Amino acid sequence: MSASKKISKKDIVKILSQWNQEFAVLVPSKEGDVTRMARWDGKDTGFMDSHRNTVQPVKANFFPPMEEMFSFQKNKEGYHIELASPDEHKLLIFAIRPCDANALAILDMAFKDGYEDPYYLSRRKGTVLIGLGCTNPYGSCFCTSMGGSPFDSTNVDIMLTDIGNEFLIEEITEAGKELVARTEELEEAKKTDEAKAKQVKETSYNKVTRKIDTRDIDKKLLASFENKDYWEKVSAKCISCGICTFLCPTCYCFDINDDLLKKQGARFRSWDSCAFPVYTRMPMENPRVEKWRRVRQKVCHKFEFFPMSFGSIACVGCGRCIRLCPVNWDITQTIESVPEIT
Amino acid sequence: MKNSEIEQRLRQEAKALLEQGKVDYIVGYEAGSLKFTTTPLITRNKDDVERLIVSPFIVNNLSVYLAEIKGRVGIAAKGCDSRSIVNLMQDNKIAREDVVIMGIPCPGLIDLKKIELLLGKDRDELDSVTRDNDRAVITIDGKEKDFPMAEVLFDNCLECEFPVPRESDVLLGEPCALVTGEVSKKTGIKELEAMPRRERWNYWKEEFSRCIRCYACRNVCPACFCQRCFVEESEPQWVSPTPKWQDNLMFQVTRNIHVAGRCTDCGECERACPMNIPLRSLAKKMYDIVDELFQYKAGTDKNASPLLTAYEAIEAEDFIR
Amino acid sequence: MNQESEWKPRILGFLCRWCSYAGADLAGTSRKKYPANIEIIRVPCSGRVDPLFIIKALRLGFDGVLVSGCHPGDCHYQTGNYRARRRMAITKKFLEYIGVEPQRIQASWVSASEGGKFAEVVTKVTKELKEIEPNRLFDDEE
Repeated sequence: MSASKKISKKDIVKILSQWNQEFAVLVPSKEGDVTRMARWDGKDTGFMDSHRNTVQPVKANFFPPMEEMFSFQKNKEGYHIELASPDEHKLLIFAIRPCDANALAILDMAFKDGYEDPYYLSRRKGTVLIGLGCTNPYGSCFCTSMGGSPFDSTNVDIMLTDIGNEFLIEEITEAGKELVARTEELEEAKKTDEAKAKQVKETSYNKVTRKIDTRDIDKKLLASFENKDYWEKVSAKCISCGICTFLCPTCYCFDINDDLLKKQGARFRSWDSCAFPVYTRMPMENPRVEKWRRVRQKVCHKFEFFPMSFGSIACVGCGRCIRLCPVNWDITQTIESVPEIT
Repeated sequence: MKNSEIEQRLRQEAKALLEQGKVDYIVGYEAGSLKFTTTPLITRNKDDVERLIVSPFIVNNLSVYLAEIKGRVGIAAKGCDSRSIVNLMQDNKIAREDVVIMGIPCPGLIDLKKIELLLGKDRDELDSVTRDNDRAVITIDGKEKDFPMAEVLFDNCLECEFPVPRESDVLLGEPCALVTGEVSKKTGIKELEAMPRRERWNYWKEEFSRCIRCYACRNVCPACFCQRCFVEESEPQWVSPTPKWQDNLMFQVTRNIHVAGRCTDCGECERACPMNIPLRSLAKKMYDIVDELFQYKAGTDKNASPLLTAYEAIEAEDFIR
Repeated sequence: MNQESEWKPRILGFLCRWCSYAGADLAGTSRKKYPANIEIIRVPCSGRVDPLFIIKALRLGFDGVLVSGCHPGDCHYQTGNYRARRRMAITKKFLEYIGVEPQRIQASWVSASEGGKFAEVVTKVTKELKEIEPNRLFDDEE
């Protein structure tokens, strides 16, 4: 893709302000030292200093930790139900990383499969993704092994490359092209800018040192499914909390609960985790009481079952699970240790 | 004593325990998959003990695994961990004869989050972090920077009262001096107590709006070993699984009361929280309340009755009509 | 203005079956007057009360919680009230630390023969709660 425009970093407020007229602009933000994508306040430029991915994945902006589905009130006539109104604004996410964008593509498949999830899809519709390539990947990143890269532009509308004082713009989709066309105060890109961007991308690609081999991983996992000894060893240090699944950009399990207070209440959906012992608790039994079954399920879902159903491994190599796990359980070590098929 | 010496002794001890059939499992620390990070090692295999390490980053409270491992365990334990182990004995969750405690006298652990804040860099951008007596030496891009240890130790290490495991079968090092210092958090317990009541409540309301109910705080805690936690009850449903701040606060406050007298301030809850909620500002307060009211410190005497089962004929009457 | 002065604090009372509940019964049969805004849950023993119930009561909007049991030494189950005492002590202090008004957590020893005392306790607790505002701790801001 040859680039023609760039954003000068000193003009960022001017650019975002324009986009803010048309979209709800989200930028990397900090709340209590925890980074996530949140509504831009119109003037803050603190996010320009962040060179790395947010703690909370972008999925949280489309599939939040909790959301109201509908509220209800009991009155003389019966129940009055009010559906939660979808957010009217179209979203523009500034500085989404390639892994998180690729994760949205995976979530899109899950939320459209069989039943089109109105809550997720209404937010997704019309969203513009302005990707920012990673010049400083974490030690936990392994996107290059998962079909992505620090500058993978497959699922963004525009890809930005940090070339020092400017962001070089690459228009990826029609929507991205049109947005650039109607944005003022952009600068013309020079040939040297493109050369610089190429160098930045190469350097960044080489910074991703964590690598795994996923060839035939679905077959290998299938062959090892009943290998209890292997899974017990692999799962021994897991403490069955929900951090890896909640902060994973491709996990999408949820629970639905009603909040009731006398004559009114609301139905909420909230994140759930297959790592929890009670996840599969049913009146008669719980098929995953043992921890090793739950860990096996998580690994197999991402690397075997999801690919079987949707043709894509449900992991983008963002590394959050590795970085944030309290016991440093590492899925890349597990994938590398799955026994070969004999 | 240097970490490397303690490490050698730990490996020797662990190997001997497995070879002599005195334990079924060894639980210790090994190098993690990220820079400086360590990770629990749980193994039956005596060849694996060569991977055991001792470093300023051995954060996990390994006693959390004792409730679930079936068999005899040889466990590496720092001061706070050994108290958690004693706790489990007091609660009749494990038997003394089923555990071999390999005690590691601990001069405090280095909090990588504090270093990241001090330097404005992430841990994988650092070349090395080492302890040199009372200073922490950090190499970044080939250049050395050093800080007083008190600025980089975990807050609970700065307030540690029992650095040397009081209960152990073998002590792997010499008793070490404590490093004390000011707890660095903006809103520690003192600051919160100075706030007017409404402000305090609003502070917790803010903090718990970030909670996503991952239950990492509960699951890293050795004192939380209930088969079914109260948050998982659905008939009746005490706490909604939906992460509203009200229910999040209810969960954490109740959890702290439930582990009162069994919490050893190991700090794991706060370290594990991915949303940076200052959980120790609750847990440590409970720890202090228990000490103040009943002069009781968790896990210091394996023959003592647990706090909430013991009683005196007359005590704590002043608030009762 | 009028509404506020008419506000009656809602109290949730956990009364032990052997002493306090019987004492409350006696207050009734003796026609002792006391505020009617206390809702009572009978428990076998004050030691049955999990601090979870107290926090849940506040979450549900009760203005105050009263836990009442047998006098120390008189517990029908020997030691239940001793456990309750320790739990209540730490619960009260801890909740005060996080910002709950101390008046909301109340405890008393009321024996089966102390009908008068029970009426007195509820009257005093109600009065203390009227001096602070209704419980809006867990309300969402509108």
